[in-house]
Amino acid sequence: MPSDPHVAPAAKMNKSRVFLYLMLAIPIGLMIVPTMIVLMFALLPSGVAFIMERGKGIYGGVCVGAMNLAGASPYLVDLWFEGHTVEAAFGILTDVFAILVIYGCAAFGWAIYATTPSIVSTFMTMTAGRRIAALQDQQKELVLKWGPDVESVYEPEDKPDDKPDE
Amino acid sequence: MAEQAVEQRSEPETPDEQAEGTGAPASSKDAASEESAEKAAAENKKESEKVAEPVPAGGGLITVRDRYSIFYDRPIPSLDMPNGLAFEVEDRKQPGRALYALVSKPEMLARISVMRILKGNEIPNTLQMVDWGAADWPPANRKCIIIIYYRPLGGRVMDSLSAVRERIPDHQFPKLVIKPIADALIELGQKGITHRAIRPDNLYYMDEGRQKIVLGDCCTSVAAGDQPVVLESIESGMCGVYGRGSGMYADDMYSFGVTLLMLALGRNPMAGMSDDEIIDKKVKVGSYAALAGEERLPVSLIECMRGLLTDDPEQRWAVENIDLWINGKRMTPVQAKSESHSQRGFKFAEDEFWSCRPLSIVMHRHWDDAAKIINDGSLEIWIRRGLENNNLADAIAAVTKTTQAMPGDQKESDDNLVTRVLMLMDPDAPIRYRTFSTSLEGFGTSLAIAMLQKKTLQPYIDFISRDFWRYWVSSQTAYHPDHAQWEGVFKDLKNYMKDTNSGAGIERCVYELNEWLYCLSPLISSQYVLEVKSVLPALDIVSKSANTKMWPVDRHISAFLRSRYAKGTGTQIDAMNDDRPDRATTGMLSVLAIVQWRLGPEAVFGLAGWVGGLMGPIINSYQNRQKRKDIEREIPKLVRKGNLPELYNFVDNPEERQRDAEGFAWAKAEFAAAEKQMYELQTGQMDRDENAQKMGRQAGAGVAVVIMLLAYTVTLIGKAF
Repeated sequence: MPSDPHVAPAAKMNKSRVFLYLMLAIPIGLMIVPTMIVLMFALLPSGVAFIMERGKGIYGGVCVGAMNLAGASPYLVDLWFEGHTVEAAFGILTDVFAILVIYGCAAFGWAIYATTPSIVSTFMTMTAGRRIAALQDQQKELVLKWGPDVESVYEPEDKPDDKPDE
Repeated sequence: MAEQAVEQRSEPETPDEQAEGTGAPASSKDAASEESAEKAAAENKKESEKVAEPVPAGGGLITVRDRYSIFYDRPIPSLDMPNGLAFEVEDRKQPGRALYALVSKPEMLARISVMRILKGNEIPNTLQMVDWGAADWPPANRKCIIIIYYRPLGGRVMDSLSAVRERIPDHQFPKLVIKPIADALIELGQKGITHRAIRPDNLYYMDEGRQKIVLGDCCTSVAAGDQPVVLESIESGMCGVYGRGSGMYADDMYSFGVTLLMLALGRNPMAGMSDDEIIDKKVKVGSYAALAGEERLPVSLIECMRGLLTDDPEQRWAVENIDLWINGKRMTPVQAKSESHSQRGFKFAEDEFWSCRPLSIVMHRHWDDAAKIINDGSLEIWIRRGLENNNLADAIAAVTKTTQAMPGDQKESDDNLVTRVLMLMDPDAPIRYRTFSTSLEGFGTSLAIAMLQKKTLQPYIDFISRDFWRYWVSSQTAYHPDHAQWEGVFKDLKNYMKDTNSGAGIERCVYELNEWLYCLSPLISSQYVLEVKSVLPALDIVSKSANTKMWPVDRHISAFLRSRYAKGTGTQIDAMNDDRPDRATTGMLSVLAIVQWRLGPEAVFGLAGWVGGLMGPIINSYQNRQKRKDIEREIPKLVRKGNLPELYNFVDNPEERQRDAEGFAWAKAEFAAAEKQMYELQTGQMDRDENAQKMGRQAGAGVAVVIMLLAYTVTLIGKAF
């Protein structure tokens, strides 16, 4: 059976890309092994967030990840400037307080992600209400000046038919 | 005609008394009573007593034309007419002139067209008319037609038709009676007037020596409206009293003949007979034989009387024949051709008939039975076999078939059938429809009187809408040029009847048919308005007592204006009939405004106030509330000027209207735009929630990234220093 001429080059490209990435990542990873060890454990909430919010966009992962990294920042900076060793990395991971801070920040990121939409929604609703009140006042003035005949009801052209389907 | 300026000098009586004085007829008699002139005369007598009743004890007078003082506390019953009351008159400029006034009763129409000719024209051997006009008449509490005549000093020639008087000597008859009246009739004929009130009790002696006989008044009532049946020809006598019409000179000659006969006998030979009996007898034996009977008439007068009482108007003596007769030429009057008689009688209404005319007369009296003999075909069979008149029988059969085939209820169909069959049986007779009977010419006055006396108008409406006039014209055996003219008139009337709007209908018909009918509107009928220019002053006067919630232009006024001043008010009256209240009110105001603008008067304060109070719909037609308030504030100022055109121009200013309309359109658009925005804001909640979610997540992520960057920056800076 002849191979698919369209699929075969793509598969070849993916394989070559993966190989390229590995060729770059492995030396770098080997150079920063302590950092990688810390990040591997510290960014577990971020990974969970990315997995949970899969299909809803990347904002949940970004939010949790950013806060997760922010929580890890004092420990990573210490690691980079005070001995970039595997022992130091394990030292951080075995420090309950450090884990608490890192994971606590991730939880805070999750909280930010969960609450900001409600805050924005409330703000937007408040703005619309003020606008409606202003429009109503304007209408009242028109009725006062021109009488109730000026009134009309807006009926959008694409309004769905209220009648039940027969 | 100029309406008179009247100066009142007595205390007016109470309104209640006045109302009594002008009250409607005591009882609404059915149309059959119209047949009897004597009955009508008796009724009128009662009415005249009523009108005369509320004369204040203190007495009083009115002055017309600043010259004639009419004393309404000094009646002259001996000179009363059936529809006119006589009062003493004093001429201020020529004191001592023997004058008297006849005041036409409000419920009767005076012959204004005749008065216009008679005034100032000296007609020999008639009562000389000095002046006439409509003036306030306190006893009736309204305007009435007042006619001033020279007073006949010798009184009436015969006090009443039931009276008996000394016979005038035979040799004096031509000189004393026939010649003067014949001369008067010649003169009247030359002026185009038929007198229609020639009867023994309407002849007067002008001098105290009772040597000069003159014809009396003929204007206080409609033509022949005061004439008893005995004085009228058979056809005219068959009409309702007010449906006789002005008639022809031959009708005057007939009345003249009967008058001569009564004066020759010194009494009425048919006194005590009912109208029906008089007509039956005249039809049966002819007028001369019926009146003369077995009486001993002066031999010298027989020829003249036979000539005047010939039933065929074509053969009847004219004034010229009398002139020839007086001058000695002897003529043998042609006897009327007798009607064809049947071989066998026709039994109907407990009587037997041998010819068509008497049968048709009795069929009219027994209307419902008449329908039966037509519908069952017995009448047609008798005419075909008994009278051997196949043409008439065929015509009746055709009419029966046509009428029965027409849709409608049986009663209506029978009424149409009987009416049409009677026309065929006696084409010379008036149009007879149930109890209603009128000549074509007399229809207008008959309708006017019915309207004036508030009688039922249904027969008149049927007369027009059921084309009785057309059938009558087509049933005539001889062509008459007038008939074509009448056809045109009635076609127009039928169109008016179809139109239900104000300015049309039966009201329009009555004004079209009666050129000198005053406006019968309940609002201004008391003001006797004969001309369009008098409408506004009359409304101005009555505005003090009228119900100002009603429009001042009712159906009668609009019909009157449309008939008398169509060019000036037609469009405005059309606008008045608009369904939209503001347009209709504008139309009403414009009708009055255009009349004032073109015909005056300059100011009508009362009417302006009345109309100003009715401007609600026009004011409300402006959308701008402030504009409404401005108009409301301004109207009283314009009302005080009494100028309706100015008021009209103010309330219906086209520029203001356009400005208002444009402003309103803009406001509507503004409102709609706001409504749309609100709708979008309200119905956009779901979208907004989705946006808020998206934006919130973005914002959260942004905040977290910023915090992270800050954290690293701060930590790195802290480590560095």
